[in-house]
Amino acid sequence: MRPGTTLQPPAGMGWATRVTLVIAIAFLICAWAIDLTPAALADLPRQMATVLSFFYPADMDYGRSRVLPALLESIHIAWIGTIIGAFISLPLALLGARTLFPRIARLVKLISATARAFPEILLAIYFVPIVGLGAFAGALAIGISSVGMLTKLGAEVVESIDMGPVEAVQAAGGSRLLALRYAVVPQVLPEIVAHWLFRFELNIRASAVLGVVGAGGVGGVLLNTLRYRHFEKAAAVLLLTILVVLIIDMLSGAIRRRLLR
Amino acid sequence: MNDVFTRPPRPARNWALIIGAVTAVTLMTWWSGRGIGFSLTELACNLPGGSRLLVESWPPEFSYFPRLLAPLLETLQIAVVGTVIGGILAVPVAVLAARNLTPGFLVWFVDRNFMNILRTLPDLFWAMLFAAAVGFGPIAGALALTVFTIAVISKLWSESLEAINMGVPEAVRASGGSWLQMLQFGAIPQALPHYVSYALYAFELNVRASMILGLVGAGGIGMVLETQRSTFEYPRVTLIVLCVLVIVLIIEQVSESIRRRLI
Repeated sequence: MRPGTTLQPPAGMGWATRVTLVIAIAFLICAWAIDLTPAALADLPRQMATVLSFFYPADMDYGRSRVLPALLESIHIAWIGTIIGAFISLPLALLGARTLFPRIARLVKLISATARAFPEILLAIYFVPIVGLGAFAGALAIGISSVGMLTKLGAEVVESIDMGPVEAVQAAGGSRLLALRYAVVPQVLPEIVAHWLFRFELNIRASAVLGVVGAGGVGGVLLNTLRYRHFEKAAAVLLLTILVVLIIDMLSGAIRRRLLR
Repeated sequence: MNDVFTRPPRPARNWALIIGAVTAVTLMTWWSGRGIGFSLTELACNLPGGSRLLVESWPPEFSYFPRLLAPLLETLQIAVVGTVIGGILAVPVAVLAARNLTPGFLVWFVDRNFMNILRTLPDLFWAMLFAAAVGFGPIAGALALTVFTIAVISKLWSESLEAINMGVPEAVRASGGSWLQMLQFGAIPQALPHYVSYALYAFELNVRASMILGLVGAGGIGMVLETQRSTFEYPRVTLIVLCVLVIVLIIEQVSESIRRRLI
């Protein structure tokens, strides 16, 4: 190397530039297809500002009388959904662990992948006519879709455990069931409970939207207030939802951190 | 000699905590169960009609499929637009929320809380809001997904940015680089694979979300779903749900195989 020159890293940007270019072109085509023109984009801030100005002041009387009960119902839906999901997913998580049940695990993982592919709200569309309009349909939908994710996460936790205690129990003559009870469950329970809590946080958001298809909770209230252009009432829904979700996230996060310590 | 056969002491248990937690969970479940009005009589009343609907919903009405192609395409377009705009806007939000890169405490604090508030509202709420603001249609959906994407990517990526090796950014600063140059040459390249991975993940979520945005009038296949659902055309509903499922699974597989190669 000649003195005075600096060693440049090789310019390896070839494929990255190409990928960026492809994405940019795809974006332009899609934006054009949905009529998102630069002019429309430029007009957005004005439109947003106009509508947002209708949101003030929030109608807190409506918030107390209608929104809080609906939010409470959303929390109830999320809780029952999480409990259903937790109960069904715990045995499935054990069965889905490659390290413990190599043959069944594949099948369990396939089931959980299918359950995860359904957005809750599509399940609710089917549950509403079966069990009737209302919160119970929502709780069932949330429960079933929780099973998918909780099984996957739980199986991953079980696969990551220290297999020493399992072997120890079996070497001492313990059955497979005893090994699960004394060697696996104590190791995985804190982490699995932390996943349940995390899923509860997600379920709060999921249950909030289920009202859109008539499955109870705060989503229906927001849809109606916006449909009839009662923006002050919609503002109350949004404010209270943000507040309640933040509080629950904080509580649940604090418990999760304690569990995983 | 007896010592050899004594069992090790049982691990101490915090009984107060266990009993407290079990009681709390039981009470909450009981209260929630009452709150959602779980009643067997209602279930029994609805079951006959419901099961008839369920039976009717199979087989799906395949002849309806050609009418779904345009809405399905629109759905994917919404997802692409939302992911790209949101992915770009997420970069500054994530950088300012990373404790090691942010220019000042106040910026960090404001941005962090902004990020948290974005994350509290579910995607469909944003869709309803934007549908009210800019009118029903795919643009509302794309905007909702933009916000949702910012929320997802900025949260995850700010954590990756906080975990980078600070030696390189410090070296850039020490040799006279500006804050932006520090980001461009020192910080962002280190976390770039994570960014791509999270962007793909967000795209996956967005495809799934875009399928249902139409339920509140924000464009795509969901709008068809909503009309067919409200007129109880369940054979068509089933066809739509199947299409959504297939697309979501395909996108997931593709994105996961790309992500596995990245990291």
